[in-house]
Amino acid sequence: MNLEYFLKAEAPSWMGVDGEENDIVISTRIRLARNLDGFRFPLIFTDEEAKTVDQMVTQAFSQLNNGNHHFSHFTIQEMPVLQRQVLVEKHLISPMLANREKFASVIISKDEAISVMVNEEDHLRIQCLSPGLQLIETYEMANKLDCQLEKLLPIAFNNQFGYLTSCPTNVGTGLRASVMMHLPGLSMMKQMKVLTQMLARFGMVVRGIYGEGSENLGNMYQISNQVTLGKAEDEIIDDLQTVVMQIIEQERNARQTLLKQSQVALEDRIHRAFGTLKHARIMTSEEAATCLSNVRLGIDLGIIKNVSKHVLNECTILIQPGFVQQYAGTTLEPGERDVFRAKLIREKLNDGNSKLKEKGEEKHDV
Amino acid sequence: MICEHCKQRKATVTVTQIINGHKSEKHYCEVCAAQFHPFNLDFHKEEQIPIHQLLSNWFGMPIWKNETQERAVQPSIQTNACPACGFTFRKFLNEGKLGCPQCYETFGEKLPQVLAKIQAGTKHTGKRPGQKVDNNRIIKKQIEHAREQLQLAIQDERFEDAAKFRDEIKALERKLEMGGVDTP
Ligand SMILES: [Zn+2]
Ligand SMILES: [Zn+2]
Repeated sequence: MNLEYFLKAEAPSWMGVDGEENDIVISTRIRLARNLDGFRFPLIFTDEEAKTVDQMVTQAFSQLNNGNHHFSHFTIQEMPVLQRQVLVEKHLISPMLANREKFASVIISKDEAISVMVNEEDHLRIQCLSPGLQLIETYEMANKLDCQLEKLLPIAFNNQFGYLTSCPTNVGTGLRASVMMHLPGLSMMKQMKVLTQMLARFGMVVRGIYGEGSENLGNMYQISNQVTLGKAEDEIIDDLQTVVMQIIEQERNARQTLLKQSQVALEDRIHRAFGTLKHARIMTSEEAATCLSNVRLGIDLGIIKNVSKHVLNECTILIQPGFVQQYAGTTLEPGERDVFRAKLIREKLNDGNSKLKEKGEEKHDV
Repeated sequence: MICEHCKQRKATVTVTQIINGHKSEKHYCEVCAAQFHPFNLDFHKEEQIPIHQLLSNWFGMPIWKNETQERAVQPSIQTNACPACGFTFRKFLNEGKLGCPQCYETFGEKLPQVLAKIQAGTKHTGKRPGQKVDNNRIIKKQIEHAREQLQLAIQDERFEDAAKFRDEIKALERKLEMGGVDTP
């Protein structure tokens, strides 16, 4: 696969519309942090060490006999800044890796469900993504790759502290399990602050999905475990699953309450958002995210029909600055971006349905 | 000098704090210093603040100085540093990160105090290299949940949903019999 393949303006498979509870849970992500014994962590390693680590990992992947997954290796340094940003927006690499100049690379599976960052904060960051709520399945995907890599690489492990990581917040299992949730009901009912505080008590963290400083853009939240040591993998996943199921129930209740108390106001809000997306000529990413959230809620409640979730998921990814510029084929000033963003969304929503029929044959999930 | 806090161990850390222009100095041992360090703010209370932010907030806080660093070349620095990467425990507290895998062994005695504040425990209980992870606990939980849903569906006379949950339970039970492995 060449890099262009991974930059295409489509939602990756993990943003498909399969998966359980997919009206509220958008996607599941599992991350494992691993390091190679005998090398300093990226914080202080030498160029020589960095190079060796990258070569060892690349070598290991070339030996992997992985029937289902075809992997491609990309060196960050060789990528133009805009392309790095697109990979960040697709959640395939972290902003930290994108900013690394030396010997950082990423290995991505053809379906984009697996990406392995090399020389980020740790030597290895194995990341797996799935649509909907699939914690166990996604963990299994990551664990399988981890087991294969363990046979080929000297993974740093200690009996007391488990898998050794640069930051003590990742040591032990090295496991960060995250679930991306769309919570417009709880947001409208002003429940998110309480929820965030409550989750902190269970060792869980709530974040906005478009990164720091964009807290509740589009009512999308990422819930993940904070603790990695002192709990086994299955306990971490089980605890997160339990919490997520409770949030889903609360979100469903909130939506029903809103519908009962103020149906017309809710319908108005949803249809207005839909109209804005279909007709606006200038669109900031904030406005786009808010409108997309309302339309998504409208689809879930059956208020909006004839729009596929697939198109909506695509828009959620495409409204980000990197993608808008990728679409325009050039770097743009923020003001120009807003114009292109509006155009992009209009095109997606207005011909989304005809395109859908063409795709129907190969994609069963629409 | 003896540590001002525990009054047991030798004080090796000087904490200089400037409050309203008044400068005060405290002397602690490494163990107590690690406890008072801002890095060790109770994470279960300050959950939302990531470590790097805690550290960046930190410049307005007391200045930590190592006695041994002041005395320039001291043989004790060598004994405190990680032989593989040269990191000291104090450097770890400053950076919030360790230098290399070997650091965990080098600072094996001091680390649990830090880890106890930010983790659920100080001992790894999960997967080991070459070992299979047991998913049974999660599957049992899923079955439990599906059974509750089934009961609710029956109560509400949502029979289509009930059938769906019954199938789900069957599939999960099959998975449990297979030892937690997915069946195609
Ligand atoms: Zn003391
Ligand atoms: Zn070290």
